[in-house]
Amino acid sequence: MKKSLARILFLALALCLVAGGAWAKTLKIGSISPLTGPYAADGTDIKNGVLAAIDAFTAAGGVPGYDKIELDAQDDASCDGKQTVAAANKLASQSGDNKIAGVVGAYCSGATIPASEILDEAGIVMISPGSTAEKVTERGLKYMFRTCGRDDDQSKAVGKFMKDYLKAKTVFIVDDKTTYSQGLADNVEKECKALGLTVIEHDHVNAGDRDFSAVLTKVKSANPDVFYISLQNSSSGGLMVSQAKRVGITSKLVAQDAVFHPQLIDNAKEAAEGMYLTFGFIDENSPAYQSFAKIYSAKYGKIGAYSSYAYDAATALLTAIKNSGSTDAEKIRAELLKMDMPGAAKRIKFKENGDSGSNYIVLVIKGGKFVNFWDPETGKTF
Amino acid sequence: MEYFFQQFINGITLGGVYALFALGYTMVYGIIQLINFAHGEFFAAGGYVGVIVLSFLGAHGYMGTHPWLCLAFSLVLTMGYCAMLAMAVEKIAYKPLRRSTRLSVLLSALGMSIFLQNGLMLTQGVYDKAYPTAFVQGGLDIGGVRISIMQLLILGLTAVLLFILNALVFRTRIGKAMRATAQDKVMSALVGINSNRIISLTFAIGAGLAAAAGIMVGLYYGAVRYDMGFVPGVKAFAAAVLGGIGNITGAMLGGFIIGMVEIMAAAYVPHGGEYKDVFAFIILIAVLYFMPTGIMGENVDDTRV
Repeated sequence: MKKSLARILFLALALCLVAGGAWAKTLKIGSISPLTGPYAADGTDIKNGVLAAIDAFTAAGGVPGYDKIELDAQDDASCDGKQTVAAANKLASQSGDNKIAGVVGAYCSGATIPASEILDEAGIVMISPGSTAEKVTERGLKYMFRTCGRDDDQSKAVGKFMKDYLKAKTVFIVDDKTTYSQGLADNVEKECKALGLTVIEHDHVNAGDRDFSAVLTKVKSANPDVFYISLQNSSSGGLMVSQAKRVGITSKLVAQDAVFHPQLIDNAKEAAEGMYLTFGFIDENSPAYQSFAKIYSAKYGKIGAYSSYAYDAATALLTAIKNSGSTDAEKIRAELLKMDMPGAAKRIKFKENGDSGSNYIVLVIKGGKFVNFWDPETGKTF
Repeated sequence: MEYFFQQFINGITLGGVYALFALGYTMVYGIIQLINFAHGEFFAAGGYVGVIVLSFLGAHGYMGTHPWLCLAFSLVLTMGYCAMLAMAVEKIAYKPLRRSTRLSVLLSALGMSIFLQNGLMLTQGVYDKAYPTAFVQGGLDIGGVRISIMQLLILGLTAVLLFILNALVFRTRIGKAMRATAQDKVMSALVGINSNRIISLTFAIGAGLAAAAGIMVGLYYGAVRYDMGFVPGVKAFAAAVLGGIGNITGAMLGGFIIGMVEIMAAAYVPHGGEYKDVFAFIILIAVLYFMPTGIMGENVDDTRV
């Protein structure tokens, strides 16, 4: 008796869902980013960036033919790719009214690479806001795009900065062994050698370490001109920078895009003053950034490093769906390649391989803020 | 040589943290043969309560005038809070299972760990919380070796707490009762020891020490985050096993050995930074191979296997 009742209820529920689908049509997009675990801060920024883009897009009229836009935000918890693959499979397996029209993500390069293979095969466009490893767009995948820059460009920018501006002769490199951080550090090492700088040592720590006293003591006794820090996130970055100060390292500190986050300054405080890092140039006075910042900070608080890149990725995706009038990956891709519009982080204009170009500049931390400092294009300070 | 002494100081500091942390594992194991997986969360909770109290005091201007008093106050408050948290965890998750198989208590401990860690994440957020560290900057320079105030503080506090704990366990009636309960719960109950109270107390002391370590680590590294208990928890557990689980002196020794091996591996082995954990665990395996009950472990009696 009980069983049959349950069965009827279940049927009724299923019917409601089907009928509900017919009445209100929802456009579904997905996101994959680490919402828990060590990279949760950046992952949450990415999710919020996508949500802010959906808010903005809905307020501007939405996508014709749909009543609302919904986000299926997947958590891949870490950077190892295992859970990212599971998340990608989950998104790719949705069908019918729940079909995912496109995905924003993932965050870490080591996660984006395996996940994109699955999504590409399933015919779903993926736009990464933060995976900067070169390999991401160099595998001939049709539906892989990114709004951030590339690490080979980033290492060129930082190499030039160390040689031309800091006039450094010796460099000590430390990375934390993720696809991204080690890949970038390797590129920087190569770049330094090409430019004639001496790399005293290229050491590694483990992602998620909190005690860096041993390696920092090593750096101190090596006393390089530049201590180059390539870590996967701002949490480790903050810890390393404040400990570096305490150990008494006087070398110039240079870091990269993954530690660009207000959290770095919150944690390291005065110890972060005067450190340099590379990040894509964001014109905070542009109208596109201003309108993004207004929407984002009203609802989601502090703007993180990749909030604007995620916002741009979602905006590009939704615009392509709107313009093509379809959720077919081939048509979305065609629209994305045609696209040329101002974005919050930078101009949204994709190349054939999915890259959107790099515009790395050097920033300095001054007065508790990230300040644009040096432009490798012109070789001049801002 | 300066380099060696500098790394030695680093190692002994990290070792002190592991030692404080490992005691909770070993004491709980000694008394109810449970590996308390939630122990790492007491450490993280301690870090958070500490930063909340210190920030509150800072907002009212006390940090500027009496930073050390504020630190002492927050230390006491945090240790008290985590002690109560641990007693509550014991009451809710372990006590009802006291008569069931050891596996179910173990699973309950795992569940508690996940619950507490996620609770911390949901209430405190995914971002790091920064400690006010202005008052612990600076340090001593002794012949080129730099000992920061924070390192002195960790070493000093560790020494004091270990001393108090030793006195408590080996010199007082409560300590005697704890040791008796660890030896034989039924017999000790027969001679009038309230074993439930003693078990509760053991959890409280272990968590209090972990909480102290949490504050110290927060101050030392400058920030805390909700999952900070996991990796050091594994190391501290390894330290407890290395020293001989159930043995208090062994846990202290194990903590210092693991900390020292980790730092020295990173300092002297080429590319050691990435393999330092490997070295710590190689030592563990090597010691257990030759001394299966750990360095100071007692002979394995058949009731505990």
